[in-house]
Amino acid sequence: MAAPMAYRRAVCSLARIFVGITKLGTKGLSACGGHRDCRITRSHVPLRWSTSFHTGAVFSSPSSIRVTDEPDTLFQKVSVLVKGHDRAVLDSYEFFATMAAKELGITLDKVFEPPKYIERLTLLKSVHIFKKHMVQYEMRTHYRCIELSRLTGSTAQVYLEYIQRNLPEGVAMEVSKIAMEKVPEHILEPLWKNQPTDRTGQ
Amino acid sequence: MAARSGKALVSLGRLNGCGLGLHTSLSRATYATALTTTTTGNKVFPERGNRGGFARKPRRPPGDPRTEKMAVDQDWSAVYPAAAAFRPGSVPLPVRMGYPVNRGVPPEKRGNLELIKIPNFLHLTPAAIKKHCKALKPFCTEWPTALDSNAKCDEFFPIKVKTTDYVSASNSIRNPAARIVNLQVKLSSLNLDDHAQKKILKLVGDRYCKDTDTLTLTTDSCPLRKQNYDYAMYLLTVVYHESWKTEAWEADITRADMDEYIWEDSPSQKNILDTLVRMKAAAEGEEEAMEEEVLGRPEVQEYKDSVSRLKNEGENESSLLQYREAVKKVLQL
Repeated sequence: MAAPMAYRRAVCSLARIFVGITKLGTKGLSACGGHRDCRITRSHVPLRWSTSFHTGAVFSSPSSIRVTDEPDTLFQKVSVLVKGHDRAVLDSYEFFATMAAKELGITLDKVFEPPKYIERLTLLKSVHIFKKHMVQYEMRTHYRCIELSRLTGSTAQVYLEYIQRNLPEGVAMEVSKIAMEKVPEHILEPLWKNQPTDRTGQ
Repeated sequence: MAARSGKALVSLGRLNGCGLGLHTSLSRATYATALTTTTTGNKVFPERGNRGGFARKPRRPPGDPRTEKMAVDQDWSAVYPAAAAFRPGSVPLPVRMGYPVNRGVPPEKRGNLELIKIPNFLHLTPAAIKKHCKALKPFCTEWPTALDSNAKCDEFFPIKVKTTDYVSASNSIRNPAARIVNLQVKLSSLNLDDHAQKKILKLVGDRYCKDTDTLTLTTDSCPLRKQNYDYAMYLLTVVYHESWKTEAWEADITRADMDEYIWEDSPSQKNILDTLVRMKAAAEGEEEAMEEEVLGRPEVQEYKDSVSRLKNEGENESSLLQYREAVKKVLQL
């Protein structure tokens, strides 16, 4: 059957991830210079994953998970800010996003509501003259911020794609990602360590 | 299958009526599995509108809404598998929405435009979310357990690159602010000696924050994010290597331009030496004390420390006290 095989392969890849990380843990991570030694495998999200959860029925052919050796990016923080005109919609969306994060095993740092912003306009009511009669409009923008900490690139991609596909109409989103990187090899030592220090730089 | 296609056509009709983007529900319809919803058996799809007028068959009255036939333990994700408008005949809840006119009650759900307008989350019930996440879980990777605190992350991965993505509905999906890349690094994690440390601060200017020891480089001059990221790394490399270089003209620095006060060869040293030599000459007669011997005395060293501290740190309680004590000891008061 295709289903258990695919899952077994996924489990094996996860096992490879764990082995790699314990090795890194013992070496103290300082030995590896650059991304290449971080043997965190990256899984590629296929394009048609949406078909697999359509109904509750057992799937006959699950989407295949491709595992590459390319090192995964590490995000120290992913901050999702949603903006909308209706507070109730944002409440429901926050419930959905936090529940999805918990189900996928992502740690939630903070979930808070920045203060709303109201833009007010005062316009003339009539097309021509009648300056004393004006009408006032206001546009309220409500915000909700969900901060997630310590995700890998694959997890972030999966979570963000899921969140963004289910973004309701009339709601905008800004995602700030802070990726962590090692100091690159060319910055570890200065170029002119072995050369005389007093060079004329004209 | 007829019932299923009938349902798809109904939703198509709703599309024309309300103008909502429900193309996803159509595409979902084509992947329907064996789980068909139970509708009233072999109902012929009713005529839409009275085009011919009186020659056509009269329109049949609509049957019971689907809510009457729903089981309590049904699979709700089959009723609302994807985002769709509110259908009062498919949602078995006595929902009311709207302004209560004439001190009445909010209007019922049948024919209620407010309920159709507002986005609903009927397709994202907790059960559905769990199902989706279960299917998505194999694509996620674990965070390395060795990096469990922020301090460890900063120690091994000191460079932080911040990028922002924007999602909104408008004529275009592009947002020019998405190209901005912000690179932050703590100077303590870079390999810099004293001279390099001072020079990098001069090269970088405002982009360095002394309180958090962070250098921030923000690049937005290129049109693509990848280009801005490459440019930021290039800037970091250049600034780092340039700070290690010592130019020939750096030796021409004058006393006034120096960052720190150096006590050697300063007026303060000359004064104290003069005073001490004259004091010794007056006390012991003709004996001329050697300068090095005078300088080597611990009181003179203390005096040197206190003066340097006053000049470098500024005047505060503790430095003034230290200066007072040092002067008293040197002049043997």
